Amino acid sequence: MTQPVVKMEDVTKIYEGKVIHRALNQLDFDVQEGEFVAIMGPSGSGKTTLLNLLMATDIPTYGKIVIGGVEPEKLSQNQIALFRRRQIGFVFQEINLLQMLTVEENLVLPLTLDGLPVEEMKKRVEDMAQKLNLGDILERRPDELSGGQAQRTAIGRALIHQPSIVLADEPTGNLDSKSAKDVLELLEHINQHEKTSIIMVTHDPIAASYCDRVLFIKDGEFFNEIYKDERRQTFFQRILNVLSLLGGNVNDFSTVRLP
Amino acid sequence: MTFRQFAYRNVLRNRRVYAAFFMASVFSVMVFFLYSMLLFHPSIENTFLKEISTLGMGIAEIILFIFTLFFLFYSMRAFLQARSKEFGVLLLLGMAKRQLHRLIFIETMLLGFASIISGIFLGFMFSKFFFMIVKAIVQIPVLPLYLSWKPFVLTMGAFLSLFAIISYIAPVFIQQGQVSDLLNGDMAVQSVYSYSKSRGIFGVVLLLLAYAMAAFVSRSSIISLFFLLPPLLTVGTYYFFTDTLPLVLHALRRQKKIFWRDFWMISISESIVRLKENARMFFIVTIVSTIAFMSVGILASLTSFASQYREVNPLGLIYKSLPHNDYEYQHIAKLTNELDQQGLDYWAVRFRVLEQQSSYTKNKVNIVKLSDLNELAATFGEKPLSLQSGHALFLPATAAAANQLSTESVNTELADSSVSLEIEGVYPYKLFPPNALGLNTIVVNHLDFDRIEEQAGVDALAFNYYAFNVRDWQETREIGLSIHAQVLAGLMLEHRDPVRYEFENPGLNYSHIRMTFSLLLFIGLLLAGVFFLASGSFIYFRLYTSLSYDRRQYAVLQRIGMTDREFTKIVNRQLIPQFFFPWGVSFIHSVFAFMSLQVIWDALAEISIVKELALVLAGFALMQIFYFYLIRWRYISHIKAPTS
Ligand SMILES: Nc1ncnc2c1ncn2[C@@H]1O[C@H](COP(=O)(O)OP(=O)(O)OP(=O)(O)O)[C@@H](O)[C@H]1O
Ligand SMILES: [Mg+2]
Repeated sequence: MTQPVVKMEDVTKIYEGKVIHRALNQLDFDVQEGEFVAIMGPSGSGKTTLLNLLMATDIPTYGKIVIGGVEPEKLSQNQIALFRRRQIGFVFQEINLLQMLTVEENLVLPLTLDGLPVEEMKKRVEDMAQKLNLGDILERRPDELSGGQAQRTAIGRALIHQPSIVLADEPTGNLDSKSAKDVLELLEHINQHEKTSIIMVTHDPIAASYCDRVLFIKDGEFFNEIYKDERRQTFFQRILNVLSLLGGNVNDFSTVRLP
Repeated sequence: MTFRQFAYRNVLRNRRVYAAFFMASVFSVMVFFLYSMLLFHPSIENTFLKEISTLGMGIAEIILFIFTLFFLFYSMRAFLQARSKEFGVLLLLGMAKRQLHRLIFIETMLLGFASIISGIFLGFMFSKFFFMIVKAIVQIPVLPLYLSWKPFVLTMGAFLSLFAIISYIAPVFIQQGQVSDLLNGDMAVQSVYSYSKSRGIFGVVLLLLAYAMAAFVSRSSIISLFFLLPPLLTVGTYYFFTDTLPLVLHALRRQKKIFWRDFWMISISESIVRLKENARMFFIVTIVSTIAFMSVGILASLTSFASQYREVNPLGLIYKSLPHNDYEYQHIAKLTNELDQQGLDYWAVRFRVLEQQSSYTKNKVNIVKLSDLNELAATFGEKPLSLQSGHALFLPATAAAANQLSTESVNTELADSSVSLEIEGVYPYKLFPPNALGLNTIVVNHLDFDRIEEQAGVDALAFNYYAFNVRDWQETREIGLSIHAQVLAGLMLEHRDPVRYEFENPGLNYSHIRMTFSLLLFIGLLLAGVFFLASGSFIYFRLYTSLSYDRRQYAVLQRIGMTDREFTKIVNRQLIPQFFFPWGVSFIHSVFAFMSLQVIWDALAEISIVKELALVLAGFALMQIFYFYLIRWRYISHIKAPTS
């Protein structure tokens, strides 16, 4: 195995509102370079919180996070922004395209911030559009897209600057099984061909079965962890087993449908 | 929880959104109330100011009322649209439409009551201070604070009815939508991208045409322009905001070299949306501020007219006696008597003005004696001049005429007296107000004067002109009041007993003009202040209603890796056009309008209004910049605040 790109040591996150809430409790885990990791857990178990900490949009109450060789906590706001812009791609839980921009403009947005030459930007948009099958809808605005098209655009936006780490929060949550499959195969593809590390939060055991490893958390604490084996079918079955162990809200997970 | 409680809590919960709206309403109520306080003031009712102040403030109150109505109308609509999701949910949960309307009605009325009460309260608190300012600016005797029911009732009545109208109309804004539309109606994007190219071009063409006409106007065409320019500008401005600007921005959008750079992409596309959403409001703001600039500019120039008054009217008192005036000696005795009694220093010079026909031009020409002029000039500290017999000087009626005549030279014979004269040169000192001794006047030495008088007989006398040079010319307010009254009375009964004399008291006129103008100016400035506050608040308000959307957008940008500095730049590029574009356009409108007005001023009074105008525009620009920073600060801190 290569060296870790993400390292979390005893990370605890406490939200102090009217009620003090411990969203993450002493979580400890690594992600290796080029690894495709799924994070699963019931609703409210702290998955989004975890991604926010990795993204440095929030800071841990205790513990240490190293991502891509840097400790976000030690960076200035400006450096964090540049770090995100160059190293990280992010896909949101709810599809989040900028409404007033077309698909093409949404795709190119991260690149414009870095002042790339227009020709280079056009080339990358073309490539990405081809990979994501967005060629026909580049001129449309987000409110004219289907959920799957919108999510593909959001993923394209997260990938266009060729980040070394992609963080995805339920990228298939709003999609039908066909679109979900497309999206997952795309992620798998870039993971395998560009050696991009991916951390994906998901409720869907099928989605999780595309990954190298699945990390389960419950109430903000580490619960279990399983690695993929030769056959996806058995991996999928093992994921289901852990989920049933996780118990409680079985309804949180989608009904079993094999690809 | 009763229904009313629910409405009450809704207002409280939405208090931030309501705050901007509330503030502007309170301010309008306050200004309205202050005007009313002045309008009904007992010590103003008894002075000559009564009519002007009633008229000025009456108009101001009406404008204020209409503007507030517009402002509330638009704000309310934007506000309800922004909350359409909330309404959709309420309807979905089974609230009847009627109940929803009642909810909105009660909410609006609550807000209305609150702003009326606070506005009147603040107004009353400030009225003492307000009177002090009025006193200082207008220089009228002390205005004591008074208590009367009238201003209260007027303000209450006006604004209660206003809020009632708004509350009644408001629900209509959400009536059209079906529940599903309401639920999706987070941001109405569909119409945002529609614009017409031809209308866009038409808009610029109209504006350019109007500007060109305003810039190259001549005296003869000014009247027709008066009727042509306002509609041209209004229509042009409308299309400019609804079509021309989107046209330009969309063209920019296609320019990838520009559009795909830094934060321009977000700024421009955001501007397109904001612009389209607010095009009508921008249009109204532009037109209203143009009117405000214009009136303040005109009033300021009138004030400058007052300050140039002394230059235009060097004399303290003027009495003009036509032939067969029985009162001449009696009146002069009375004037000198009153001046002596008041202990005012003065010099009085009598001019005998003859009238002859020039055989050269066949025009009537008025003739005065150089020695009289020398006598008057001496009281102003000027040196006496001399003239040879047979020579004459032009006595120009105005400064413009002086320029023209300085190079003229005329040989003529006076028809009735057959005296021939060579007229050349201009009398150099300015001792009279414009046109005092007639439009066509010359100066001769006393020998020629006597000769003319002798040969032409008594009929040659046009009038006697008594010029009083009073050192403390502003102190003459009380002098000659009875004569003034007689002139006025005589004018009414002209046919029976024609008045054979004229009397002018520049000191008295001056104090009237000064007070009137400064009062009007003050009213105008306050009114402009309300527009200014309201249009700024509207922008703020609009920003606020889209806050939840903007926050999400900020979160996206933050995760994409935008720095705070870049974000501030984006906000700047979004806000600056919203703040300064309508004002900028109205600046340009006003500048061109004043160019054409200057033509009128040139014709009337030979004064320049450039300085006043620059001051007014600079003052507004400063205020607007301040307001911009204030609102940007609030907006950015709201965007960055964690969602609560
Ligand atoms: N800003 C916040 N302030 C206070 N509590 C918060 C905040 N954000 C999240 N929480 C709480 O922390 C816990 C974890 O939230 P998180 O969003 O990480 O859940 P999640 O695992 O992503 O759930 P889901 O699968 O539904 O998206 C929840 O109980 C939530 O209520
Ligand atoms: Mg989540």
